[in-house]
Amino acid sequence: MSMTKTQRRRISATVRYSVLTLWAIIAFFPIYWMVSTSFKIDTQWFSWPPVYFPDPPTLANYLNVWFGAEQYAATQYAISSQKPLISMMNSFVIATTSTFLAVFFGAIIAYGVSRYRILSEARMFQLLMLRMIPPIVVVAPLSLYYSAIGLLDSRTGLILIYFLTTLPYAVWMTKSFIDEVPREVEQAAEILGASRWRTVFEIVLPLIRSGLVATFLFILILTWSEYLLALIITKTQVTTLPIELSKYQGTTEGRVYGRQAALAVGITVPLMIIGLIIRKHLARGFSFGMVRR
Amino acid sequence: MTGSKFSRRTLMQGGVGLTIANFLPGTMPFAQAATMEESTIAAAKTVQATDVSGMIWSPYLVPMQPVIADFKKATGIGVGAVQDISIFDAPQRAMAEALSRSPQFDFIHIDSNMIPSLASAGYLEPLDEYMKKADFKIEAVADYANFMTYKGQTYGIPTDGNVHIQYVRKDLLEDADNKKKFADKYGKELKFPQTWEDDLKIQETLMDPSKDLYGSGNLRNRANGPTWWYMIFYSAGGFTFDDDMNPTLNTPAGQYAVDIYLADKKVAHPESAGWGTPQMIPRIAQGHVVSCQYWDGTAKLNENPAKSKTTGKWLYGLVPGSDFSGKRIHRSISSPLAAILINKYSPRKAQAAYLALWLGSGKNSIPIVSDPVNTFHDVWAKEQLKAPQVIKAYSAPAIKAIEANFEVVSPPTYLTGYLEFQDTLGKNLSEAYVGQLPAKDVLKKTEEEWAAIVKRIGRSKLKSELASYKAVMPKRDMPA
Amino acid sequence: MSVAAVPAASVPSKPAARTRARRHSIRVFRWSILAPLIALLAFILLPVLFLQLYFSFHQWTVYLGSWWEADYVGLDLFKEVLSDPRFGWAVVRSLVFATGSTIGCFVVGFALAYLMAKPFRGQAVYYLIFILPMLTVPVVVAYTAEMLLYQSGPINDLISRIIGLDFKPMWLTDPNIALPTVMLLEIWNWAPFSFIIMLAGLAAIPKEPIEAAEILGASKWRIFWEVQLPLLRPVIFLALVLRFLEAMAEFPKTWALFQGGPGTATETLPVYIFLTTWQYFEISKGAAMSYIVMLLMIGIVLIAIRLLRREKSSLDSMYGQAAHAEPPA
Repeated sequence: MSMTKTQRRRISATVRYSVLTLWAIIAFFPIYWMVSTSFKIDTQWFSWPPVYFPDPPTLANYLNVWFGAEQYAATQYAISSQKPLISMMNSFVIATTSTFLAVFFGAIIAYGVSRYRILSEARMFQLLMLRMIPPIVVVAPLSLYYSAIGLLDSRTGLILIYFLTTLPYAVWMTKSFIDEVPREVEQAAEILGASRWRTVFEIVLPLIRSGLVATFLFILILTWSEYLLALIITKTQVTTLPIELSKYQGTTEGRVYGRQAALAVGITVPLMIIGLIIRKHLARGFSFGMVRR
Repeated sequence: MTGSKFSRRTLMQGGVGLTIANFLPGTMPFAQAATMEESTIAAAKTVQATDVSGMIWSPYLVPMQPVIADFKKATGIGVGAVQDISIFDAPQRAMAEALSRSPQFDFIHIDSNMIPSLASAGYLEPLDEYMKKADFKIEAVADYANFMTYKGQTYGIPTDGNVHIQYVRKDLLEDADNKKKFADKYGKELKFPQTWEDDLKIQETLMDPSKDLYGSGNLRNRANGPTWWYMIFYSAGGFTFDDDMNPTLNTPAGQYAVDIYLADKKVAHPESAGWGTPQMIPRIAQGHVVSCQYWDGTAKLNENPAKSKTTGKWLYGLVPGSDFSGKRIHRSISSPLAAILINKYSPRKAQAAYLALWLGSGKNSIPIVSDPVNTFHDVWAKEQLKAPQVIKAYSAPAIKAIEANFEVVSPPTYLTGYLEFQDTLGKNLSEAYVGQLPAKDVLKKTEEEWAAIVKRIGRSKLKSELASYKAVMPKRDMPA
Repeated sequence: MSVAAVPAASVPSKPAARTRARRHSIRVFRWSILAPLIALLAFILLPVLFLQLYFSFHQWTVYLGSWWEADYVGLDLFKEVLSDPRFGWAVVRSLVFATGSTIGCFVVGFALAYLMAKPFRGQAVYYLIFILPMLTVPVVVAYTAEMLLYQSGPINDLISRIIGLDFKPMWLTDPNIALPTVMLLEIWNWAPFSFIIMLAGLAAIPKEPIEAAEILGASKWRIFWEVQLPLLRPVIFLALVLRFLEAMAEFPKTWALFQGGPGTATETLPVYIFLTTWQYFEISKGAAMSYIVMLLMIGIVLIAIRLLRREKSSLDSMYGQAAHAEPPA
């Protein structure tokens, strides 16, 4: 060990930067490719040698996919009569409603667990593991059951099942925020004569506002990107964005990569914005009480 | 009155004639007989005007929309909400609909080879009554209308008559150097292939991977492979089941078909094992393929100078045949054959049925199959093959090839359980193609799995369907 | 240890009646909180599970009648599934996939977290980039991967240029590398998850033991192995267990890219169940398979719960107090 401390530090810094940069490139390149393909003209979608930078860049894919602009279809590919904007609205409604329900009820249940121990710790873990049942094992009877009670191909049906599957996460995440609210606050409220429910809604929940927002956004990511349940349960009335994407699987003239990319960018950008907003809270969301603060 | 043109006698005779004419069925005085389109409209007007909904892939729907608009104007029946789903995914979704007896879709646009399965599941409405009321007949070429029947009843109206034809690059075939190379290697003249062996020889000799020119454009992936395999198998004299519904795949004819099928590997692009239509069609049109059997619609793409680099460079003809059975047999195939099927559980089935009939008349279907942008629909009706805009879209040689192939077109397994049979066969063939399964085990394994499917569906039930299956098979070995 | 059920200051007067009234109102409160959860489970989850159970004991052949007329066949379906070699292979593939991608996610996540543990210039930018893959919808990952992984595609092109040799594996059509391809995609997609957990875990390690060890002259390696790692164990277990369970259920990427092919190279459990139910319409066999898979997963989950609870309680005791009273185990 004849290196000086400075040399050692410089080497470790170099190693750190190279490894991190390598993974940053690996992480970023596919996203870059998706975005750049969405701006390419059709002869560059799938060519050899590959085109890394669209030249010339074009908005035709976006105009065609998101706004149905037929003139940009250049009469080359079968004009799609799909309506991504409607899917986006569906995705938005379904995702936000189910997420809101999950966070609302999740917070209430979390309060109950934190203060009144309505669920033992064992049950809490079991609740978390409920989410770990692969959806594939319930999809077939779910679709039969839903069609019997008229919830198939409905927004309500999807909202309910998303609510059920994300509730465990909501409970765990909000509980970690509620645990940090000092009990003295509620004791003061009780002395002043507030009922239990008032305490919850007017005292405790507002105190963890930012945590609720973080939980909301985290669960929104899950409901926005869900694929399998949406695939089986939706038909004509409802389509969500991930299903919309799988419809662009190609025509007789080849894969329409540019269009798929334009749609994919639209699906991904909202999530990325959300993720970047709540990035500081992601750690808490994922730790489920395994990390001491 | 000698001055008047008509004597009283003439008038009397005319009057009697008129009276008689009024009582004769099917005639209208002083007018021509109603066309099929008119009688369809007349029958459709007897039911309540309402929009119908269905399951159909949007590239198929778009060229049909002007024709549907005409119908709506005349009868008030149009198309409302549709579930946009590709023709390859539609069978699963249709079965899911059948399982839940859902009245949601009034019609589905789907591979007609699903008719036995869906009819068995109780989902399909027979169309014969509606056809009688509308004085309608499916005027398809050759015996193609049989593809819509099951146990004596009609269940579908075709819109896209896919049939495989043979594509061979004319410029490569006529090239002097290629001719010499071929003659030197095989001592025979280089010409349009007549048998599978011929085709393989041509592909092998003319391909040039260094120029990204590969011999074969055939599909060998899990989903589509069986379509090609059946052509070879039937042409070798093989058939899928015996009269007791025992699978008869593991026969010399079957093994011959597997060998020819797998030999494609030598002349195909190494990545083609995973390719489907979206990847292969551009390669055909852009000139990277020597020859193949493929859906006839690709001719429209090839002959469109705006989209293809090989316009005018193709020869079209009969798919190769085989001498394996002792005589020469050619078999083409129609799969998927897109047709409109009507949901028995729907309250609007009559409206949907008449709409289907409207779309399926020879005259109305011409603009649908010759749309220059949306080229999914392919010819199936006699009238279409004579229409100038259709001939222009495909090119006259392609139309001749299509007509010839229609005379020997066969179905895949036209039985209840079609999807299950097809996927099992496709899985084993593709495993062998990528080297995961030895070639000699493919048919044995498939027979075992098919026997299990037969047992599950019911042997006697399937036996009763064999007659429908055989009725759809072609009657002649080669076109006249 | 006081539990918050009864606040510290209570209003004096008629203690017995008051306490009964209070206990009653607490009970009402507790049940009204639990009610929606129970209702949801009762109305959606239970009927679905019972229906699935019904199908796994009754052979329903779609073509022969309606599902409530199906024949009772006892354990035949379960026997059929357990003796089906294709099912066995699907289990193997799923386990291989889940294990491999979990280890990969862990290694990458931990390495990144370790390198990012101490602040340095530009750290925020790296953090942003690292979490992006997790925010990409899985279906989008699949279709983007399809664009990238053609033999004559950008990935092969880039790597060829970097290493100077012709690098041309057939990611999408070679059956031997199809499953590893999906595993790599899974690692790309979810390494950020492990990364974030590990980073939080590393940040939460108190500095005192480390500083003390450094003063005592312990090598960096020993510090890592004997100080940091034990404190990280709960976090590591959490990352591994959650990732493993989700990887066993992975469906969109495998299906959208490969549909179980080429051949059967990527036929994992979710794919095989999907094919059985929705392609072969063997609803009953699919139901039996689903129950077996559920039992398998529940078994893994119970082990996981036990491990996690043990880690959590050791974590609590390591930090000297418990935030909530532990009910008797």
